[in-house]
Amino acid sequence: MRVSFTGQWPTLLVAALAGTFGSALLHVTGVLAAAIAADDVTGESATVALMLGLVATVFIVIAVYVSSVVTANTVSTVVAGRTRLIALLRLIGSSARSQRAQIAREGLVVGVAGAAIGVVVGTGVAFALERVAVATGLMPETAYGYANPWVALPAVAVVLTTWLASWVGSRLVLKVRPIQAIGNANEHDREELGSRRGRNITALVFVALGTALLVLGVVVGLVSPFGVLIGLVGGIVSFTGIVLGADVVMPPVLRLVGRLFGASPAARLAAENAVRHPERSSRMTIGLVIGVTLVTTFSVTMASYRELILAAQRAQPEVYAGIDEMLNVTVGVFTVLIGFSALIAAIGMVNTLSLSVLQRTRELGLLRALGFDRRQLRGMIVAESAALTLAATLTGVVLGFGYGWAGAQSLLGAAQGTPALVVPGIPWALFGGLLVAAALLTIVASIAPARRAMRVSPVVALAVE
Amino acid sequence: MQIQPSDLGLIARVAELGKRYGTGSGAVTALDDVSLGLRRGEFTAIMGPSGSGKSTLMHIMAGLDSPTSGRAWLGDTDITELSDSALTVLRRRRIGFVFQSFNLVPTLDVRGNIMLPFELDGRRPSQEEQEWIDELVDVLGLGSRIGHRPHELSGGQQQRVAIARALATRPDLVFADEPTGNLDSRTGREVLGLLAAASARYGQSIAMVTHDPIAASHADRILFLADGRIVRDAGRSTAEEISTFMLGMERAA
Repeated sequence: MRVSFTGQWPTLLVAALAGTFGSALLHVTGVLAAAIAADDVTGESATVALMLGLVATVFIVIAVYVSSVVTANTVSTVVAGRTRLIALLRLIGSSARSQRAQIAREGLVVGVAGAAIGVVVGTGVAFALERVAVATGLMPETAYGYANPWVALPAVAVVLTTWLASWVGSRLVLKVRPIQAIGNANEHDREELGSRRGRNITALVFVALGTALLVLGVVVGLVSPFGVLIGLVGGIVSFTGIVLGADVVMPPVLRLVGRLFGASPAARLAAENAVRHPERSSRMTIGLVIGVTLVTTFSVTMASYRELILAAQRAQPEVYAGIDEMLNVTVGVFTVLIGFSALIAAIGMVNTLSLSVLQRTRELGLLRALGFDRRQLRGMIVAESAALTLAATLTGVVLGFGYGWAGAQSLLGAAQGTPALVVPGIPWALFGGLLVAAALLTIVASIAPARRAMRVSPVVALAVE
Repeated sequence: MQIQPSDLGLIARVAELGKRYGTGSGAVTALDDVSLGLRRGEFTAIMGPSGSGKSTLMHIMAGLDSPTSGRAWLGDTDITELSDSALTVLRRRRIGFVFQSFNLVPTLDVRGNIMLPFELDGRRPSQEEQEWIDELVDVLGLGSRIGHRPHELSGGQQQRVAIARALATRPDLVFADEPTGNLDSRTGREVLGLLAAASARYGQSIAMVTHDPIAASHADRILFLADGRIVRDAGRSTAEEISTFMLGMERAA
């Protein structure tokens, strides 16, 4: 059957961004490694190049992970929107499995296209950066050739994860029943709790286990910096648990945030929409939660580290001379690198909100027929977008703060020779930045859907599908 | 002095209404020079086969769509050239809708759905309006269901909620679009009885679009549309009479 790409553009964008990030980062580290090798002082040490490679790998893995979560969620949303078509195809004899394979195949094609675009654009970006650095005298001319075979790795990773994420995201196809093609057009709200119980228990076990490991990491960290490795595992495990149990975690937060918007009908409907389908709204927000958590974790850890260094600097100014600038650069570079994953997550939210508005045309038409004016409709979409963004940001900040402190404590608890409590550094600049970013995201995420919603004719509500 | 529709006892009127879709040889005429008036307090059925233009006529009369030519009034208001926001307010305050697929807002419970028109207007119902709503809830047998969400209700119950919502603001005119189309025949009869009662007991003007002769037999007046024109204007009729006429129309076509 012909592969159809309706609604797959967001996935292509995410895959291309992840591919661009991966290949650009590898090229840049390649250029830096070449520059370091050429330098007389540092050239002898292979460690620096290795460290660079390791750091690049960590950030690429994070970006690819976030983009695959986003892709899985986008695919789920696309499938939800295609329910009727899938039901019709099932009705005339197509099997659920072939329908699902079809969507996974689309994912593969999109992944290949995205990776190819990513490699081309990423190489271009890295080349441009190198030229600028050389032209401004920041870096000497290097012998780096752009035929770096390692760049194939992030490309392959993007293809595979997009494929896999499409497969995972398309599991909803199995729930589509052929009868839905001829059934009543009303949306089904039945909550299928049964199948979710197993998942929630798994999530709970992960969170409990992860938290225990985190605590252990913090305790071990009091005597040895290797505590951070235990803590890292704990962080990954507990966070995976939170991602799995997102449909339990997110609705209460969304409900709380929804209260902030007042009691006008637009605000109330927006708040209700955000919690109506726990699965849908957690799908929309979890990517962003991951992004914000990562950014906050890194910032809090870095800020705590900075406090510690500055305290040491005050005690022994001569040893730590000039460290301020280095700290600032490090923090800046890491923030940009991790921020890219947050950007991918934000794009994911914009996509899913647009798609979900597209899928609610009939309901929007009903509200128009009953007397919602265009402004109220737009207000509703903006409020919904704000509720989702704010809920995701708040959750991410709280989680990130916890993880960041645990990370700093387990890494630095023994840094001064004796076990000590690390005061968590509060990255105020980050919080300010997040606030601005959240406001921006709310607006960006609601522009397209609001415009579309305002164009919905009330007549569609009367049409019988 | 110009004669207003209300002077003639009309709640809604259209004059020389035309609606065409597309241009050139592919153009389709949905309404062709239709003029009619709906009388205040009457339950009018608009009948016709699929493609006769009855839905288009209702959309224009309800301010949901605009005609290619001609004019439409609701009460004394010429709605032909009203702006979108004026039409929105008009729908909110002066028109009620009952749809074939119920179309309740899934996130709101029964009370929330019934109160929605007031909320959209940004006001609370007055004492008198609240009493009216309570009476509606009582008459429609929704008292025990008031906190339920639409998906917890049967089709008939959902349609009764929709009727309560449509009647709650005492609109000038309630439009019902195939209100029994998704219901079994017994529940459908109940719903039609409720609409007829709303008209007879409370003087509610109702326009119902349908192609079901049994549904139309509950109305005070029946307008037949075919190919975008009114072909017959009849008083109360039995389902048999209506069916006979409809079949005759089919044969003539």
